[in-house]
Amino acid sequence: MADRDLAQCRTPHLSPDWQLNIAYNAALQAATAALAAAGYRAARDAHHYRVIQSLAHTIEADPALILQLDKFRKKRNITEYEQAGAVSEQEAIEMFALAKNLRDEVEKWLRSNHPELL
Amino acid sequence: MSTLSDTDNLSRTLFGKTRRAVLSLLYSQVDDAFYLRQIVRAAGVGLGAVQRELKQLSDAGIIQRIVRGRQVYYQANPQCPVFAELKALVMKTVGIAAVIQAALAPLADRIRIAAIYGSIARSEEYRGSDVDLLIVGEATFAEIVSALHQAQSTINREINPTVYPPAEFRSKVAAGHHFLNAVLKEPVLFLVGDKRELARLAKKPLAH
Repeated sequence: MADRDLAQCRTPHLSPDWQLNIAYNAALQAATAALAAAGYRAARDAHHYRVIQSLAHTIEADPALILQLDKFRKKRNITEYEQAGAVSEQEAIEMFALAKNLRDEVEKWLRSNHPELL
Repeated sequence: MSTLSDTDNLSRTLFGKTRRAVLSLLYSQVDDAFYLRQIVRAAGVGLGAVQRELKQLSDAGIIQRIVRGRQVYYQANPQCPVFAELKALVMKTVGIAAVIQAALAPLADRIRIAAIYGSIARSEEYRGSDVDLLIVGEATFAEIVSALHQAQSTINREINPTVYPPAEFRSKVAAGHHFLNAVLKEPVLFLVGDKRELARLAKKPLAH
């Protein structure tokens, strides 16, 4: 499912806000997949935050990546509710790259740790 | 770009040690009231010196003395004629602006503009307000976020950067981009660059 989202991201004429949202969702799905494979579910409270933080324990993600993804999470919250348009194309591109990178990392991790799921 | 010690130096030159410590604390958190021992602990100066300073500052109306039950608290006085100026002075020398400026210093050669906008720039912020930061430059969002990570803990606020490469900034402003044009009309607090640089990057004269 994350693949479909990432492919959509590349559609031109989507605003950076929207591109960010799609790429972010793809990243979150990848992180959720890793968590589920490890046998866990995040609490409903602060759900996205918890899923992102869990990357440190599932795929042992780089702290810098987690920091960035969490920053994109906050950016997404703000643009949804307050400042429409406070996302640059540059940031949308970086979010897209992060989502792709994360997806690849999760897939690699699943292959070595939970091959039965693939 | 100045380092924290440069702007620090400004307040060290303007004020004696104790005054600087007391003003820095009370005027960087104007919504909060502090009791004596809190101030002494935060200031790192002796009790007697702080007591004398608090008396002087409250006599002059710069801070207010509040009695709640048996505790005495001190707080910045919003009725002080130079309240806004002192608040800005503290922010620029030891507060939010100074901390963020110093944090961005390693990326200085790839930042053309760094400006605080939003509630803090309008001086309408409250305790929980985030710092909204506009960056125009070649530095990436990832680099900016990493650089500011520590600063967030130091100032105890979320920092929300929006990062534009110069070319994107110019084309968006020219195209009448809603967010950017709204920000450019508001008061901003420049940490890197200035109004002229901003106009140059936008390649159009800015109303201000």
